[in-house]
Amino acid sequence: MIRASLGCSPQLVRWATVVSLWTVMAHPLFAQGPKPASVSPRNANYTIEARLEPTSHTILGRETLVWRNITANPVGDLRFHLYWNAWKDNRSAWMRERRLAGDTRLTARADDDRSFIDITSVRLIDAQGGAIDVTRDQRFVAPDDGNPDDQTVMAVPLPRPVAPGESATVAIEWKAQVPRTFARTGVIGNFFFLAQWFPKIGVLEDAGWNVHQFHSSTEFFSDFGVYDVQLTVPAGWIVGATGREAEHRNNPDSTTMHRFHAEDVHDFAWTTSPDYVERTARFDAVPERGLKPVDIRLLLQPEHLSQAERHFAATRAALRWYGEWFGSYPYSYLTVIDPAWQSNADGMEYPTLFTAGTRWLAPANVTTPESVTVHEAGHQWWYGVVATNEFENGWMDEGLNTFSQARVIDQAFSPNYLARRFFGGFIPWVFRDIELPRATVGNRLYTYRPNARSDTQSTPTFLGFPGRVVSITYDKTALWLTTLERTVGWPTLQKIMSTYFERWKFRHPKPDDFFAVASEVSGRDLTPFFDQVHRSSNVFDYGVDTLFATPLDHGSGSRSVVVVRRYGEAVLPVDVLVVFDNGEKVRERWDGQERWRQFTYDRPSRVRSVVVDPDRVLLLDVNYTNNSRTLAPRAGEAAAKWSLKWLVWLQDLMLTWAFFV
Amino acid sequence: MGVLRLTLTGFRRVLAAPAVLVSVYVVTLAAAAPFALVLRNSLQTHMGASVMADAAASGVNWDWWQEFTGQARGLETTFTPSVIGFATPLDNLSALFDGSPRPPAIIAAAAVYGALWLFLWGGILDRYARARATRSHGFFAACGVFGFRFLRLGLIAGIMYWALFGLAHDWLLTTTYTRFTRNVTSERVAFLWRLGLYAVFGAALIVVNLVIDYAKIRAVVEDRRSMIGAFIAGSRFVIRHPVKTLSLYLLNGLLFLALLALYAVIAPGVGGGGLDIWRAFVIGQVYLVARLLLRLTLAASQISLFQSSLAHAAYTAAPPRVWPESPAAEAIMNAAGSGRSLITNH
Repeated sequence: MIRASLGCSPQLVRWATVVSLWTVMAHPLFAQGPKPASVSPRNANYTIEARLEPTSHTILGRETLVWRNITANPVGDLRFHLYWNAWKDNRSAWMRERRLAGDTRLTARADDDRSFIDITSVRLIDAQGGAIDVTRDQRFVAPDDGNPDDQTVMAVPLPRPVAPGESATVAIEWKAQVPRTFARTGVIGNFFFLAQWFPKIGVLEDAGWNVHQFHSSTEFFSDFGVYDVQLTVPAGWIVGATGREAEHRNNPDSTTMHRFHAEDVHDFAWTTSPDYVERTARFDAVPERGLKPVDIRLLLQPEHLSQAERHFAATRAALRWYGEWFGSYPYSYLTVIDPAWQSNADGMEYPTLFTAGTRWLAPANVTTPESVTVHEAGHQWWYGVVATNEFENGWMDEGLNTFSQARVIDQAFSPNYLARRFFGGFIPWVFRDIELPRATVGNRLYTYRPNARSDTQSTPTFLGFPGRVVSITYDKTALWLTTLERTVGWPTLQKIMSTYFERWKFRHPKPDDFFAVASEVSGRDLTPFFDQVHRSSNVFDYGVDTLFATPLDHGSGSRSVVVVRRYGEAVLPVDVLVVFDNGEKVRERWDGQERWRQFTYDRPSRVRSVVVDPDRVLLLDVNYTNNSRTLAPRAGEAAAKWSLKWLVWLQDLMLTWAFFV
Repeated sequence: MGVLRLTLTGFRRVLAAPAVLVSVYVVTLAAAAPFALVLRNSLQTHMGASVMADAAASGVNWDWWQEFTGQARGLETTFTPSVIGFATPLDNLSALFDGSPRPPAIIAAAAVYGALWLFLWGGILDRYARARATRSHGFFAACGVFGFRFLRLGLIAGIMYWALFGLAHDWLLTTTYTRFTRNVTSERVAFLWRLGLYAVFGAALIVVNLVIDYAKIRAVVEDRRSMIGAFIAGSRFVIRHPVKTLSLYLLNGLLFLALLALYAVIAPGVGGGGLDIWRAFVIGQVYLVARLLLRLTLAASQISLFQSSLAHAAYTAAPPRVWPESPAAEAIMNAAGSGRSLITNH
């Protein structure tokens, strides 16, 4: 229940301050209470009221936050994320990083398309309802780069520190301008998607506040709690939000209040539009596998009505396979948002709600919308429940989830084919001859390869190079997890991930927590592996250097010489498969430590081909073409075939343009 | 004459001169082949003796393809899945309408090819205008006579196409499209806008094409030396015969769409190795020959329309071209004591 009101008179404020000071002296400002019984710590609990003005693109909001210090140390201030200030001007860290990434489109935005969040009131509320107005004490801090123009983190000093176990209650009022979409948040036409939209307290750790400025290549980090949110929008508009709708009430001013309630979540996002079409479905319980039923609510764009079942199928696939492999989805509801075209709000996760994304023409066997739906639904596990710090360890949610998504797509939506889009991107064409493999395409080897050396994965994500860090967080992790899968086997990796999920659900694990579980469950010290793939930016590149065969002197066979080479700096053991003309096969194990290794065979039959890493365990190898060599190459035939196809393409291009001569 | 009959007439004129069709096909092949050889060399070098080539030869090896694309430069960057089957015309038409950039090597190839067409148009139009054999010497004589004139006309056309592709296209399909769809939240609606703007751009393109086509025709049939005059005359003809010139063009466009539909059905996919490679290549070449046939049919039927409108069938103002007599021919003539040319045209 929010006690503050918008627009108090100065006299009232002064009176309230006097009363509040008396209250502080007479009563404890911060409550000491037992931790509530729940699956999460629930130490950041919000009651929010917000009103959207769709014509002016503004939000008036007020919130009461009850925050508990769950660390071992007292804290003398509170820190809040004010994410929307990142798009106020071009001086924020976010905008500077976009510029660094080469993005001039967003930095050239007109003022009307930008956003802000202005805090109009901050008051500390005591147990008796008294308040201390600390609005004037708020200040912006820039813990990451000291940028004085960055206003995405607000610090509010406290009259006295909040001791461990104590709770502080804060009432905040604000006004915000909704931007034309930045970072999947904003408005286009009458479609609103509103994320990171309220003053959100950071995460206090034993070492102090973990509250980063908003960065262009990172996402978010916050504590679990209970959200009770009243959203007022024009009557007739459909609202989707984190949690479940508890009530809605029509107001005399042609608006409707929708109240949503969510427990044990660490964020709250919502969307509204008059155009949504609502569909519902249910994921049925699978008791023998511990999977509970889930009500799925889908808010679709009208032009995607025919794709409702594809969205449900993908969501069910995620609920089933993530549930079976890693652990049951802990909530009884899930909302899927199909965002408006060109809203740029697609493909984003929030607790119990995510945005998918599809196209008007979406051919079968091409995994749009399935891929994005599975990915974002999958974030309910890797982000929603296992709530890692996305500012610092983006790979822990995005990487694990990219790997998991590729596995689900392979399991539930195979085969899937390559598609290209023509005529402004509207017309798809499916290449039914090109089936997309999970290991390389699903895990995004081809976007990782050009960026392989960009950053060391153990570098905090917010310090990664803005234009390329995505490849290191998403792609590299998915690739090394596949290597791990092919090294220890899927049953072991599955057990690693399910143990990690079970152990760290509703908590904030760090990289070492994952590594510890991996070594513990696999029964082997995986530190050398993580040293190579996580704590280094070295690239893997093994290959065949030399292959030749000469007749033996006595004329009864051949001497075959094979030299394999490590071209990259990263080191992991690999297999070498040697195939002889008579079909005989020899598999060698090479620890990969030296730069090269020679194998010599005096056999009746000569070596026909050699392949380093024949099972493609080492997915991070940036050049697999050089991994093999044969004495009967077909490169000439292949090159002839493909260059002839290209010749037809070039002739057709010439004819198309010659039409104008 | 109706447009159907004009098209049939044009078609007959093209069929009556198979050497022209064969020649332009050979030019198309010859202009593109060197670039294909360069690409072939790149592909083979990249695969080397890797066993990755096995899958690429027998079918498709998408992993290898992606690796190749990852290191591709210049011409190599155009080696995309668009080379497979029906994606080829889709890609090229899409690039035309979207103004997609191409690597300089491809632009150079297209420029060379365009220059060859400029040279050949004189002979081609002369042959179709006369509706009788002109033999190679007559054909190339006309090419020589009109080559330079068409180069000058090409400058005028170049300015017009630059205005279309360099200015109008950007204004229509970027500025206007973005403005109209700025707050559109339905992809279907946005696509309709784009279709509409394609239509506007296409209409402008057709008008310019028509004017340039008839300028060339009037230059040849009326033996015009001033290309500005030919351009004005071509414009006048299109303005005075808007229905027929446009219908003829659109009918040819419909035939092209029918050809595309047929190719969508029969276009080879990835295919295998060995003979399959050549089967796919031959199907591709047949499609290209059919495209050329349609292009030539349009030119021949436009000539037929012009002649039937302003003169009579097979009317040309210019005398038959006489192959310039070489010093050797002159020497032979002198030695024979004859005052007649050894080479005549009929």
